[in-house]
Amino acid sequence: MRKDSGPPSSIRRILVANRGEIAIRVMRACRELGIVSIAVYSDADARAPHVAAADVAERIGPPAAAESYLNVEAVLDAARRARADAVHPGYGFLSENADFARAVQDAGLTWIGPPPETQEALGNKLAARRGASEAGVPVVPGLLVALDDNAPPNLAAIGLPMMLKAAAGGGGRGMRRVDALEDLPDAMAAASREARSAFGDGTLYLERLVSPARHVEVQLLGDRHGNLACLGERDCSVQRRHQKLIEETPSPAVDDALRSALFDSARRVAGTVAFHNVATVEFLVDGDRNHYFLEMNTRLQVEHGVTELATGLDIVAWQIRVAEGRPLDASVLEAVPRGHAIEARIYAEDPWNGFRPVAGSVTAWQPAEGPGIRTDHAVVEGPLAPEYDPLLAKLMVHAHDRPAAIDRLRRALDETLVGGLQTDLGFHRWLVDQPEFISGDYHTGLISERWVDGPTLADDEAGLMAVAAVEGRRSGLATEATTDGVAPRGSGSSGWSRTARQEALRTWSG
Amino acid sequence: MVGLTVTLDEREVEPAAGWQLEWLDRRRGIARLSDGQRTLQVVVEGQGTEWFVTLRGRRVPITVQSWRERTLAEARAATAGEGGPVEIRSTLPGLVVAIKVESGAQVAAGDALLTIEAMKMQNEVRAPRDGTVGQIAVEAGQPVAAGVLLLRLD
Repeated sequence: MRKDSGPPSSIRRILVANRGEIAIRVMRACRELGIVSIAVYSDADARAPHVAAADVAERIGPPAAAESYLNVEAVLDAARRARADAVHPGYGFLSENADFARAVQDAGLTWIGPPPETQEALGNKLAARRGASEAGVPVVPGLLVALDDNAPPNLAAIGLPMMLKAAAGGGGRGMRRVDALEDLPDAMAAASREARSAFGDGTLYLERLVSPARHVEVQLLGDRHGNLACLGERDCSVQRRHQKLIEETPSPAVDDALRSALFDSARRVAGTVAFHNVATVEFLVDGDRNHYFLEMNTRLQVEHGVTELATGLDIVAWQIRVAEGRPLDASVLEAVPRGHAIEARIYAEDPWNGFRPVAGSVTAWQPAEGPGIRTDHAVVEGPLAPEYDPLLAKLMVHAHDRPAAIDRLRRALDETLVGGLQTDLGFHRWLVDQPEFISGDYHTGLISERWVDGPTLADDEAGLMAVAAVEGRRSGLATEATTDGVAPRGSGSSGWSRTARQEALRTWSG
Repeated sequence: MVGLTVTLDEREVEPAAGWQLEWLDRRRGIARLSDGQRTLQVVVEGQGTEWFVTLRGRRVPITVQSWRERTLAEARAATAGEGGPVEIRSTLPGLVVAIKVESGAQVAAGDALLTIEAMKMQNEVRAPRDGTVGQIAVEAGQPVAAGVLLLRLD
């Protein structure tokens, strides 16, 4: 029995086919709606926070994602064992896998997401681009057909520099910038290989590089009764490797005229497919406020939370309601975003080393608290699982206007502490003091042009760090064995700790 | 009081005068630094001479040495010389996608040795110094765990 049509039917048990912060996010919505939540976990995650957050948990396989969180059969088996009646995929993993969505429905379960046919149609970025163009939506100048080894004759007409993109792409993978036509063969080989390994499909197409550009996306929420809401835009222009680090709503680059043009284009793109549930339509916006369709993502976005803060809506709860067949109500259809919301993604990666992911253990974790703060995370002290995404947490702030939101973000960043490994917190802390970010006049080249490899450590900061390191060593000497006679040997331990306390409180005087 | 030398980024740093540290959570290394006017939270980790301090989100390695430790370390560095084989190991689990050198090749510091795809990225592994490529311990297409020997530089 398929449950993708007919009268509303209540969902009672949701299997969350994901891990980490997003699994916990979905489980929180389940709890508020009185729905039983079912976690799945790999052997690496048996004690993970998302398992603890669920009512019920099912093992699905070994640590490698391909054998667990990406294993359709294992996830469906878990759903049967736990008597789930619906599946929420979160983002990443199987969330945009139409075969999985179809298998969920064929098993008689409700799929909490856009229909598999829609995911299939929009999953191919090149086909989506063609569809949008036919619907009268501006697309980035370039090819509407796949690029094969027999290069079409009009390549030079696209204009340089160009971007090579994977038809099956997303998340920046399989993308390459091309500055000269003679570089194209090498770039095609590399991009195609990357796309094949990431998506199993090496098909490529070409667009002109829009630069400088901003990355602006529109949040859509639709029901099965023909209602479609545009819940505002998000500006995601602070990116490294074409992946987002900061998202804010509203976009400082979008005025009312551009906003209605973006919403109109987003509705047109959604109109090219049978759409319900959530999706995000992504655009590039150039310096003259022209917008160009990039792609439509048929799942919950990582950054949905800033839209929730600005609208006061629970997007995940609405995903569940529309999957049950219920109509959107006035709270959604007439939603008016308030104030300004910003998200900073906290990754285990080193901004001073090309934002490369780092391995290691979290030894300390203190999330920010207080007015207007939301931290979605699944951080535990201990080693990071190297098999999965290096996202540690999403720090979101909301305030009455953009300057207040930036001040709040700065305060929240100072409260957020991570020990044991490098994170991008230092980049975010730098960003909130940059004139371009404060004025809102920034674009996708901000990191490559302004951050580069990051500022060197200022002398006053080095001096403060030295105070902390010296006191660390001194108090460490009080509790651990010492090596070189820096602290007195043989004195009683109570004397040691008393000395340590005194020293820890004593002002360093050189 | 016995003096401790603080080295950060290969330079000696004088601790900021007038600032003091107070532990908020000693086990996790969470502390506050204050000069009586302003306060900042920091994370302090480490043991012996090797420490890490995280300030305003930036985590920096810091060496704290007594005079004797420093003298010994300098003597060791002076006798170690520049030669000696270097083992190059993977820092993250990933897939070896390309090997760019052959055994016996002369390379300069910064030359690409091999490419590893990890966490959605293709990373070039580069030579840390000039040298001759010795044993190559992996093949293109091979998945590697963190810490696996990739090649030796003689």
